[in-house]
Amino acid sequence: MAEYDLTTKLIPYLDRHLAFPLLSFLHENEIYPAEELIQAQYDLAKETNMVDYYAGLHEQVYPGKEIPAEFGQKRQQAMETNERLEGEAQAVLAVIENPDVVQALRQDKLQNLTYLKDNYNVTVDQITALYNFGQFQYTYGNYTGAADYLYHFRILSTSNALLLSSQWGKTASDILSGKWDTALEELNKLKEIIDAGVATTSTTPGVNMPALTQLQSRTWFMHWSLFVYFNHVEGRTALLETFLAPTYLNTIQTSCPWLLRYLAAAAIISRKGTGTASRTVRTSLQTVVKLIQTEAYQYSDPITDFLRDVYVEFDFDQAQVSLKEAEKLIQNDFFLEGFKEEFLENARFVVSEAYCRIHQRIDIADLSSRLNLSQKEGEKWIVNLIRDPSSALFSLSADAKIDLEQNVISTNKGSLPVYQSVIEKTRGLAFRTQVLGAAMAKRGSGLPDQPENGEEGQQGGGGHHHHHHHNRRGQPNANKTVIAEA
Amino acid sequence: MSRFFKRAGDSSSDESESEEEELLSSGEDEAPQQVTKAAPIGMARFRRTGSDESSSSSSEDDDDDDDDDDDDDDDDKGKKKKTSKFGWGNDAEESDEDKVVVKSARDKRLEEIDACGKTIDNAVKVNDWVAINNEFDKLGRLVIRQMTLQEPIPPLFIKHVINLDRTLSAVAQKDKESKKKMNANNARALATMRQKLKKSAKENEADVKAYEADAEAFEANYASILIALAPAPIVKPPPVTNNKDEEPVEGTNDDFKTVGKGGKAYNFTAAGLYKTLAGVHESRGRKNTDRAENVRILEKLLEVAHTPYSKISVLLALISARFEYNTTLSTFMPTDAWLGARHDLDELISVLAASQDYVVQEVVTIETDELVERTPETEGGTVHVRGSIISSVERLDDEFTKSLQNVDPHGTEYVDRLKHSMDLYKTICRAQLYFETKNQPEATVRVVMRRVEHIYSKPNAVVQALETAAATSVESLHLKSSIPTLASCGNTKSLVHTLCVKLYNTDNSFLRTRAILCHIYHHALHNDFHTARDMLFMSHLGDTIQNADIPMQILYNRAVVQLGLCAFRSGLIKEAQATLQEIFTTQRVKELLAQGMHQPKYGSSLTPEQERAERARQLPFHLHINTELLEAAFLVSSMLVEIPLLASIDNEEQKRKAISKPFKRLLDFADRQVFQGPPETTRDHIMQASKALQEGQWEKAKSLILSIKIWSLMPEEKKIKEMLGQRIQEEGLRTYLFTNSAYYTTLSLSLLAKTFSLPEKSVAAIISRMIWSDELSASLDYMAPPDGSATKFPVVVFHRVELTRMQQLAQTLADKANTMVENNEKTLDQKLGGSGAGGWGEGERQGKGGGGGAEGGDAKRSERTSRGRGRGRGGLTQRGARFAQGLGNRMDGGRRNQ
Repeated sequence: MAEYDLTTKLIPYLDRHLAFPLLSFLHENEIYPAEELIQAQYDLAKETNMVDYYAGLHEQVYPGKEIPAEFGQKRQQAMETNERLEGEAQAVLAVIENPDVVQALRQDKLQNLTYLKDNYNVTVDQITALYNFGQFQYTYGNYTGAADYLYHFRILSTSNALLLSSQWGKTASDILSGKWDTALEELNKLKEIIDAGVATTSTTPGVNMPALTQLQSRTWFMHWSLFVYFNHVEGRTALLETFLAPTYLNTIQTSCPWLLRYLAAAAIISRKGTGTASRTVRTSLQTVVKLIQTEAYQYSDPITDFLRDVYVEFDFDQAQVSLKEAEKLIQNDFFLEGFKEEFLENARFVVSEAYCRIHQRIDIADLSSRLNLSQKEGEKWIVNLIRDPSSALFSLSADAKIDLEQNVISTNKGSLPVYQSVIEKTRGLAFRTQVLGAAMAKRGSGLPDQPENGEEGQQGGGGHHHHHHHNRRGQPNANKTVIAEA
Repeated sequence: MSRFFKRAGDSSSDESESEEEELLSSGEDEAPQQVTKAAPIGMARFRRTGSDESSSSSSEDDDDDDDDDDDDDDDDKGKKKKTSKFGWGNDAEESDEDKVVVKSARDKRLEEIDACGKTIDNAVKVNDWVAINNEFDKLGRLVIRQMTLQEPIPPLFIKHVINLDRTLSAVAQKDKESKKKMNANNARALATMRQKLKKSAKENEADVKAYEADAEAFEANYASILIALAPAPIVKPPPVTNNKDEEPVEGTNDDFKTVGKGGKAYNFTAAGLYKTLAGVHESRGRKNTDRAENVRILEKLLEVAHTPYSKISVLLALISARFEYNTTLSTFMPTDAWLGARHDLDELISVLAASQDYVVQEVVTIETDELVERTPETEGGTVHVRGSIISSVERLDDEFTKSLQNVDPHGTEYVDRLKHSMDLYKTICRAQLYFETKNQPEATVRVVMRRVEHIYSKPNAVVQALETAAATSVESLHLKSSIPTLASCGNTKSLVHTLCVKLYNTDNSFLRTRAILCHIYHHALHNDFHTARDMLFMSHLGDTIQNADIPMQILYNRAVVQLGLCAFRSGLIKEAQATLQEIFTTQRVKELLAQGMHQPKYGSSLTPEQERAERARQLPFHLHINTELLEAAFLVSSMLVEIPLLASIDNEEQKRKAISKPFKRLLDFADRQVFQGPPETTRDHIMQASKALQEGQWEKAKSLILSIKIWSLMPEEKKIKEMLGQRIQEEGLRTYLFTNSAYYTTLSLSLLAKTFSLPEKSVAAIISRMIWSDELSASLDYMAPPDGSATKFPVVVFHRVELTRMQQLAQTLADKANTMVENNEKTLDQKLGGSGAGGWGEGERQGKGGGGGAEGGDAKRSERTSRGRGRGRGGLTQRGARFAQGLGNRMDGGRRNQ
């Protein structure tokens, strides 16, 4: 299975600490030789301050050998640094946690700084101590503590570079301490910062730098977000929402096509997505299939192959093979491992949906075998499928009947009545036009740089007003195009 | 030298005499004008006459060459005198040696000046200011030459200045009457004369004063200087610095040799080198300069130049002299001159590489005496010489292209000329290595660009040959640093990549753009469609190419067209069709690729300038993309895309919209034909194949398409034919289903598979795809065979519903409303430029993203129509823009939000 393993591709975009879980997962799965993995873990840990962990690994790597002398020194050093930094940070923390101060703090960061300086003699340097201590805690694996300090630091600091850094740090800390809710929140904040594209770092000036940095940040962001998206309850939907945004799609295409696996998996898993999900999620499968097709030349694995087989080639036999492979792959994938059942279930849906749509009479035995199910299971499954309101078959359920004697389901489907297809076609139009109007209104009211969703702007009354106005202006334009085409 | 003159005069020796007579006899008034007009012819003839007549030839200095240039301007008397007096040094006439009247060059010059003076005197007497004017000019020239040779200004000149000044003022006194008497020409000449006199009087103020003060002393002084100088050239060869430098010149006779040697040694030795060089420099750009002669002089100089500095100086001068051979830009350099220039350039680089202390720079701030030898010791480290190697390399390359443009591409001459590209490539590589060693980034990228342009469009074998040749040539420079070569990179692809990356890192956006286009072209040439496509889209060139200069647009078009061909070769028919469509819609394929001239329509025509500019832009033949092959690829792709699409649409109106214009035009034309003969051209083949495909006769279509001869020009012809055959079968099946679905309720898959000789599985897959994408209203089923046996066979069941007119209209309306909203969204999207990175309605646009292959159905159709509208020269912008929009959001957003 090593051929499908993405760990080597993922790690370059992960923080050192984030890579540990991946490695230990590999260790359990025994795809790679255990010694190599321990060695890797050891090498990884060497640079951190997780001294005890590293010492433990040392024993495993070089059994029976003395732990090198520098180990003691390093431990000593780490302890000292820790104490020193803690002392520095504690001073500030004491002030901040003072209820009076909490009361006095406002939104305006500059004002807060002056307030602290005037009343408690807290300087910017001291505030930076919070950051330093937070970061140091992170290096020896005290993620909760790190998160805490970085949180406080973020409230006070005005330095953009450090703020960004602390944001990344906080996100990593939350991920590593497994607080998925907070982590998701942090992740969203991080995304906002990246999307806003504010030049935070004082990197070398250059015209292309910001775009490149943004691309890199996005790549990192996407890799980190996998931890959250595949652990949080709402994660898959969030993943689809994020990854399918044009900018992130481009990032995938440009710098990390392997993430297509997770995108495809998430699309399959959340196929049954409830009606409340946004259009992005509902149409995600289509989008993903298209993407897989265009990117086939640079990335493919059993999961993407599966989608291709079903939706592009309509080769259900091949799909069956791919699905089997995909199952194995998922077992060995750190992020997807927990979703094996869910994935398989939905993959079956995908297959049967496509199958049923194309065939008039469905042989249950045939379909079951394509789903890797026994005939009994298959029958049950198909009955459920017909009952399932989210499946394509549901709409046909009036016509779909199981004929037990011949063991087939027959669907008596003609093409959609014309009126229905017209309704289908025009369904979204009004809404889309509204969104258009809202977007224009927002532009007009001078909020150009805020990336917001159309839906939000639409709620505002003002937006509504503008919307009519602009819409009228937009209309003739469109008419012209239509005429020109006709 | 004499040989040259002979050659020059050969053709007209007979007439020369009489013509000269005419000149001589012509009236004094017109004479000067006539002389100047007739000069170019007269010169040659005159010389010819001279050498033929003079049995008593004198051995002469080569200084005469300089003199010659001016001789022709001499007035009639002067000429006559000279003709009789001086013969031309002719080596064959040694026997007459005794009679030779040895005259030094200086004496001759002085005599000329003298003659000039006399003419002026005469002219003054008759008050002919036109003649005076001319003569004075000549005098001025002679004097200037005197000065460049660092001889003192002869008192004669000063005397004339003073005399003329006096005469002028005398004339001015009786201004009124004289002016009235004078004809207009004369009056004008008088006025100019006054100006000139004033100027030269000012220039030589000191001398004039000295002369006025004491004329005799001045002349005496001059004479003494002359005497001091005189012995050197005449009596003996001067102390030559480097004896072996002396040319073992023509002539075996000892006596003669001495003199000849002496004369030549003066010029063509290391000592006299700089002087002669300065003389040549002086004559550059003058109207009457004999450029060929200059080249000759410089060539001789090169032979005696032995110090690095002298070599560099002479080579620089020689290279420019060769380039200057043609004064007009439209004509191309003769091959000999070009080869010479290339050789010299090579040598220059070798010299520079060998002597690292000498640097050729475009801007040299320190003013130096050009006439002095310079060494690193005198300059304190490095000697900076003014000049530009990179410009010469570029000029050399341009001249090469120009000559190819002007040679008949079907003759052997073209091939012969083309062979020189290897030499040129060598020079370019050498220059690159030199620039890299010298760390001249600007020159390096320029030369790298040239290098890329030489290899980007060539097949591997050619590049291999070029590189092998270049490698040895580069090695011979013995420089420490190295440049990327084929050997070091492994294959052409990575070589081009390495070179292009070098160019991407420059600040010069022009070079960057050219580099990326070349790179795209190269990828496409090597069938790397995806990389090429991604690069094209990521570069956002589609948006801006209209603003680029025309050569850039041409390159862009070439890259796009090659991309289309690449898609075709890789079997990506849809992509090929979409890529090539734009350029074929314009119907000016050849023009857009700079492979043919603009065909003006009625009433409009190009101005001569435009025409000349366009002619200059044309690509040399060997770089052409075969347009017939291109057309074949486009039309076949169109056929495979359009025929099933046509079949799928059942109302006429939509049919008209859906099809791509160029294909439709041809198809209609083929339809109108009453009688269809056997196919002759590629087009005929494709059109008849299209018809056959429409009728379901895929076998006929296939054989027609495969019998097109031009496929043999494609590499891997067999594979392509195989692919095409397969495609024709598939599309034939689709067309058949579309056309005939109305007439069947069920069709068995096995029958279809048999009819179209496709495996049953792929038939099922094709039908499934059609059902899934709602192209075909049908479903798959199994049916028991009529004989009642147990094995069922798969069939396709059609559910065709006839729409009423009303339903049809309703559907059309719905489609239009859809298109409208889509267009609105697109417009707004462009307006907002996808600012907020999340976009304003990302959810809505999802369905349409994803670049290339939009599958069938409505989306595709609307895309097509919006693309179909012509788009000037740029080519393919819409599609590029569409994709770029997706990818671009990130970039744009990033920039805007900073």
